[in-house]
Amino acid sequence: MPVNLGETPILRKPVAPPPPMLPPRDLVFEVEQFLYREARLLDDERYQEWLGLMTEDVHYWMPGIQSRHRRDKKPRLDPRRMAFFDDDLLNMRRRVTRFLDPTAWAEDPPTRSCHIISNIEVELTDAPGQCRVYSAFVNCRGRGEAEEYWLSGRRNDVLRRVEDGGLRLASREIVITQTVLLAKNLNVFL
Amino acid sequence: MTTDVIQPGPDELRALVDLERGAIDRRVYWDEAVYRLELERIFARCWLFVAHESQVAEPGDFLTTYMGEDGVIVARDGNGAINVFLNSCTHRGNRISLAEVGNRRRFTCNYHGWTFGLDGALVALPQEDVYRQTCPGFDPGDLGLHRARVVSYKGLVFATFDEEAPGLEDYLGDYRWYLDVLLDNDEDGTEFLEGSIKSRMACNWKFPAENFAGDSYHAAWTHNSGAMAMLGMGVGKSNQENSYQINVNGHGWQFGLDMVGNAMVLGEQDIVDYLREREEKVAARLGKLRSRMVGSISSANLFPHMSFLPGQSTFRTWHPKGPKGIELHTWVLVNKSAPESLKSLYMKGVMRTFSPSGTLEMDDGDNWENSTQTNDGVVTRRQKLHYALGLDSGIQHPELKGAVHLRKYNDSNQRAFYRQWLKLMCDERAHASRS
Repeated sequence: MPVNLGETPILRKPVAPPPPMLPPRDLVFEVEQFLYREARLLDDERYQEWLGLMTEDVHYWMPGIQSRHRRDKKPRLDPRRMAFFDDDLLNMRRRVTRFLDPTAWAEDPPTRSCHIISNIEVELTDAPGQCRVYSAFVNCRGRGEAEEYWLSGRRNDVLRRVEDGGLRLASREIVITQTVLLAKNLNVFL
Repeated sequence: MTTDVIQPGPDELRALVDLERGAIDRRVYWDEAVYRLELERIFARCWLFVAHESQVAEPGDFLTTYMGEDGVIVARDGNGAINVFLNSCTHRGNRISLAEVGNRRRFTCNYHGWTFGLDGALVALPQEDVYRQTCPGFDPGDLGLHRARVVSYKGLVFATFDEEAPGLEDYLGDYRWYLDVLLDNDEDGTEFLEGSIKSRMACNWKFPAENFAGDSYHAAWTHNSGAMAMLGMGVGKSNQENSYQINVNGHGWQFGLDMVGNAMVLGEQDIVDYLREREEKVAARLGKLRSRMVGSISSANLFPHMSFLPGQSTFRTWHPKGPKGIELHTWVLVNKSAPESLKSLYMKGVMRTFSPSGTLEMDDGDNWENSTQTNDGVVTRRQKLHYALGLDSGIQHPELKGAVHLRKYNDSNQRAFYRQWLKLMCDERAHASRS
């Protein structure tokens, strides 16, 4: 009997994912610029303009992550589980209201935030004027004298073109790598 | 952790807590030796909240959590009993469950494959015959996971590793009368909604615990921005003559009788309406006074480290991680019979107020971390902290149970917290346990 070298038989037939329908280069460029600008607005605490990038029906969701076994039948992410964010526009405005209030003590002196956005993929969707955008992020926050918090994750966005011709964020799902948030708070949008 | 810390004796401990004058030595927040003693004499002895029964509703359901720094598994077995045992293999000590929640028939250690049942018993191990042949007196019955005593109170599951500890009823005492405000205001009882948000803070565990036990005073100042975000106005001046602090065995609850003040902060009118619609029904069940506590401006801590906010419905534990660290676990408590749509509003309301991203919690963490960090300065530590608010505020009340103090701007619950802390810390008996 020949020595079995330990391969999994199914891997003898690798399957290349079907080539994506490439979106127009101009759209990719526009989306990239949209995401970079959005990140800069957050880093600069220009929240009024940042909120202006949202559609009226935006859904901003960052679920809590649980450490579950692979064979666990329950879904990895579940909208019925506790989340860090599960917001409509009203509640995003409420959060910004606190950020901008002079008595938000944990924001004064300000937390210093840097969003690095990468791995941007744009997919056309069936809905006219709407595209799906995948991206990855690294966020670093500095606070006080020597506090530093790192967070990374993936985002799954829907961008929609609106009447003025510009793009808006219609939904965002944020999946971070931490099950226990290694920080005392999450005073940042991602 | 260092290993050469010298255990402080009772006289040394008593000098840290001056209850007559209301002065607390800053050492309780940073000292490694004090912390080690807390793990032994508080966390390994008290009845600790470990889960809500609804989190392990079905046979095989389990979750992992901590009792002190000891990792434990909470699991419901085939007979419906809830078991709590150490999450550490009896062979080499490896952590057994790496998943934080799930459903299993048994737990198998990744190291050598020792396998334990839902009650912690060793039920299988690879090549057991080798052990039977070469290990004199080998008995798998001796090698089950170390079990804690487990008792529930109206849905809340408590456990202790102390064999000699008086029962949970004694531990909670008259605090049960207050717990019923949340746990028994509806005949169908309560549940935790799914999921748990967990986070780390670089603070001593006692800062959040004593804060929830009785620090009403910080709310208007610390949380002004959160109130602006959720209510469109700051926290109003509270009526001190119609508010109370009560404490029982170190458990604290500070409250007004405004019924919906906390609930309003969740920012959902439907929740406020739900509470108002139920007021009469709750009054018929619990009496008028307690019906006014259901969602009122209030906070509470069940000694040592399980805190909650009536009305806001957040429940949380502050698991110690060294003298200057905690891991915070949070959940949402609701009445089981509440409409699903309302449960969803509670979940979102808690998330946007009392979670790491919450408009109120964000400012707490900053304060507790900085209080912890500054307290161990060599010169800083010489001055004691001020806990003297309301030294003479004790009253007799015809209805309220436990030690009652008038006015919720008051340190009396925090002094009671440290009275219980000191009592336990000075208990020098050797540890008792079963295997």
